[in-house]
Amino acid sequence: MKKEILIQKWLDGELNDAELAAFKALPEYASYIKISEKAKLFEDTSYDVEMEYSKLDAIIKERRQKDPPVKTLNWIKPLMRVAAILVVGLAIYYAPLYGDTTTVKTLASNQKTLELPDNSSVKLNAESSIQFKKGNWKNNREVNLVGEAYFKVAKGSQFDVNTWLGKVSVLGTQFNVKQRVNYFEVTCYEGLVSVNYKGKEIKLPAGKSFKVIGNEIVEDETKDSLPSWSSKKMASFKSVPYSEVINEFERQYNTKVETKNVDTNQLFTGSFALNDQELALKAITLPLQLKYNKENKTKIVLTKE
Amino acid sequence: MVQSLNTNVCEERIFSNLFKTLSKDVHNFLRYKYGDNLNPKDKVQEAFIKLWDNCKNVTPEKAKSFLFTTANNMMLNEVKHQKVVLKHQQVKPKDYTNENPEFIMEESEYMKKYQRALGNLTEAQREAFLMNRIEGKKHKEIAEELGISRKGVEKRIYGALEKLRKEIDGI
Repeated sequence: MKKEILIQKWLDGELNDAELAAFKALPEYASYIKISEKAKLFEDTSYDVEMEYSKLDAIIKERRQKDPPVKTLNWIKPLMRVAAILVVGLAIYYAPLYGDTTTVKTLASNQKTLELPDNSSVKLNAESSIQFKKGNWKNNREVNLVGEAYFKVAKGSQFDVNTWLGKVSVLGTQFNVKQRVNYFEVTCYEGLVSVNYKGKEIKLPAGKSFKVIGNEIVEDETKDSLPSWSSKKMASFKSVPYSEVINEFERQYNTKVETKNVDTNQLFTGSFALNDQELALKAITLPLQLKYNKENKTKIVLTKE
Repeated sequence: MVQSLNTNVCEERIFSNLFKTLSKDVHNFLRYKYGDNLNPKDKVQEAFIKLWDNCKNVTPEKAKSFLFTTANNMMLNEVKHQKVVLKHQQVKPKDYTNENPEFIMEESEYMKKYQRALGNLTEAQREAFLMNRIEGKKHKEIAEELGISRKGVEKRIYGALEKLRKEIDGI
C-alpha cells in the first residue's frame, strides 16, 4: 500500500522531495489537490471569538444577578447534612416502636429486678422470663410472663400481665404472679387486681390471693406486704401440693430432686430459705418426716422414713 | 506532585481565557461533526454556560474535555438523524473575470457534489478530515484532541479523502 502511505504523508505535510515527485505522478493527483483546496471553502469564517464572548458574558452576568450559582452550591451541602441528621434522628426515635420485643430471663437460683419503661418495676424469681415491647409502652402496657414475678406498677393506663393460664390486669398496684405447669397464683399486695381466668374475671383486693391448683380455684389471704421470696429470701407455701414445693426448690437451688415413696400430692404449708440449701432441705423434709440424701452436687433423693 | 494553583474555573479571568482559546475549537468540532443546520454557535454558548454553572467542580485542566463532551452531548440530544449540511462560501465570480460562465457553473456544480459527499462521510471521517484540511492540524494533534490513536486518525482522513474523490469524480 505504497500509495496510501504516500497520501497519508502528504496529508500530514511530511513528504520529502522524492516522495512529492512520486505523489505528483499519481493519476489521482489533480483530484486530491482540488479536494484539498476546496475543503477550505467550508470553513466558517464568521465565527468571531470576541463577539461570541461578549454574548456569553452578558448571559452569565444576568444569571449571576438572578441567582448566584456559587451560593446555590453552598447551601445545598448544609441542607443535606441537616436532612441526614433528621433522618437518623427520626429513625432512632421511632425504631423502638417497631423494634423487637425485649425479653428478660432468669436462670435457676437467680433473681433479677428490671425497670419497665414507665418506672414500673418487675422482680423476676428463678427460672422465669418476661417479654414486653419497649416501643409504644405508654399506650400499651403489656407483658408476657412465664414463671413467677412480683410487679410494682406505676400509675397510668391499664397494665396487663399475660400468662398462658390467665391474664392479670391492674391500674397501679403491687402484686405477685406465679405461674407453673399445674399451678397459677396471683397475690395482690396493694390496690386492686383483676384476674381473668378461663373467661372469668375475679377482682382481687389487697391482701387477697387467688390460686389455681390443678383445676381447683382457691382464694386465700396474706398478711405480708411483699412476696416472701422477694422480701425475706424465703419461698413460702400455703396448702400447696408438695410437688410444687419440690419444683420450687429445684428452681431455686438448680438441683434435681427425686422422691421415693413420697406422696407428692399432699398439701404443704411452710417455707424454705433461698440462701441456705441445708436449712432449706431441712425445712421441707422434717415436717413430713422425710430423709434426704445428696447423691452428688446436682442430685438429691428424698425418702420416706 | 504538581498541583494546579487554580482548582476551579470560576474566576472570570480564567474563564474568559478558556473561552478565547477553546471556543473556536469547540465550534469547529461541532460543525464538522454535525454540520451547520444545528446551530453549533448556540451550542458553544450553552456548553460554556454549563461550564460556568459547574465552575466549582471543574479544574482548568479538565475544562477542555468537559466542554467537548458537554457540547457533543447537547448536539446528540438534538440530532434526529438530520442530514449533515456544511455551508460553503460562494465562489464569487471576480469582476474582471476571464473565466467563462461555463467554468463558473462547473465550479458551483463541483461544490454541490462536494457538499453532498461530505454529508455522506461518517462523523469520525468528517471531523478528522476537516480538522486536517481546514485548520491544517497535524495528525498527532488531532489524535490528542479526539482521544484516539494516530493510526486511527490517518485511517480516517485517508478514508475520507478516497471516499470524497470517488463520489465527486463519480467513480
